[in-house]
Amino acid sequence: MLSDDDIIRSIAAHSPEGIEALYDRYGGLAHTVALRILSDRGAAEDVVQESFLAVWRRGSTFQPGRGSLRAWICTIVRNRAIDRLRGDRHRTRLDTPIEGESIEPAVSDPWAAVALELSGEEVRKALAELPPEQRQTIELAYYGGYSQSEIATAMEVPLGTVKGRVRIALDKLRTSLADRLETPWQTQ
Amino acid sequence: MADPMSHDEVADLLALEAVGALEPSERDAMERHLRTCATCRHTAAEYADLASLLPSALDLEPPPARLRRNLMAQVFAEATASPPVSWWRRLIDAIPASRAFTAVGAAAVIAAIAFGIWGATGRMGARTPVTYTVSGTTATGTLDVSSSGSPAVLTVTGLQPLAGTSTYEVWLIPPQGSPKGVAFLSRAPNGSAWTAVIPGSLAGYKSVAATVEPAGGSPTPSNIEVLSGQLSDS
Repeated sequence: MLSDDDIIRSIAAHSPEGIEALYDRYGGLAHTVALRILSDRGAAEDVVQESFLAVWRRGSTFQPGRGSLRAWICTIVRNRAIDRLRGDRHRTRLDTPIEGESIEPAVSDPWAAVALELSGEEVRKALAELPPEQRQTIELAYYGGYSQSEIATAMEVPLGTVKGRVRIALDKLRTSLADRLETPWQTQ
Repeated sequence: MADPMSHDEVADLLALEAVGALEPSERDAMERHLRTCATCRHTAAEYADLASLLPSALDLEPPPARLRRNLMAQVFAEATASPPVSWWRRLIDAIPASRAFTAVGAAAVIAAIAFGIWGATGRMGARTPVTYTVSGTTATGTLDVSSSGSPAVLTVTGLQPLAGTSTYEVWLIPPQGSPKGVAFLSRAPNGSAWTAVIPGSLAGYKSVAATVEPAGGSPTPSNIEVLSGQLSDS
């Protein structure tokens, strides 16, 4: 089985087999994300197909130092789904860092391996442990496409509160999920 | 100029960015900081990976098999596109919609060029490409099988745009048994032509057809057939 690094190299070499392997590994996740956001099977399929074709056509822009392959494809699919949800195709998105930037070599990325170890049930439990307002905040953002200011308006809280809730929620998830791992995990 | 942002301030923005809530007005400052800060790039990767775990809490919704089939047909077609197909597509796309080119006229031009190219190819001893004619009430076109082993390409003009809830699905029809949905026709940007890439061999099928189906396709073809053609060399 190809590793994520093998898939990245294959995509960078513009090999169809790289896209095939990427889809076989993350196509289900991508479809799940798109369907959760759009609640429309036809639209979700369109978004998934467009996303993987986009990766095929500009895959060499992937930069490991900014997250795992899983995170990258999730971001691409999510952004496209949110844009479709909002009907805003002109919105500027940064699926990847800007091409041509000077990027240092990839840093250690322990969560890429963590994703493979964790079950859905463990992630559900970790999310359930979050205070409702924190969970709602990250769900409004991730699945609803709400920006910080839109969430602040919707939840009738200051902007700074939204910012704090998101970061605290992610930090708690990191701690909670790390506790559930059999393999010890280090931040840096 | 010194970066005015602290790691802590940037971490706030990175968390927002990871879940897609960062305001565009704050992105530039965050990106500037990331260019020179390996610590915050690591934090960015961590938050991005954490956010990508959120969908793990959902029940997995596997995509239908046709999605993989269509994706890979497109990828392989782009990877192995042969010059004749590219020329035809460019020609079709270059036909201004406002001019008095009819669908039949455009198809005739394409067919003439195609036969010329294929004649030359045949004389060079390569495996002879095959073209099949397809037609319907308003549509006409060709199904082109290249000499290089690339997927067959169906090119059609004369089809009307559909609402977003419908699509043109392409079927291969065997002598016996059920039609097989193999692709969807897509309209070329800025052009009047519709194309579909058909993966795999056409051997064992007697005809090709296209029907109007709900977006995403159907397990079996509807009765709304817009074109068809026989798959025989004669």
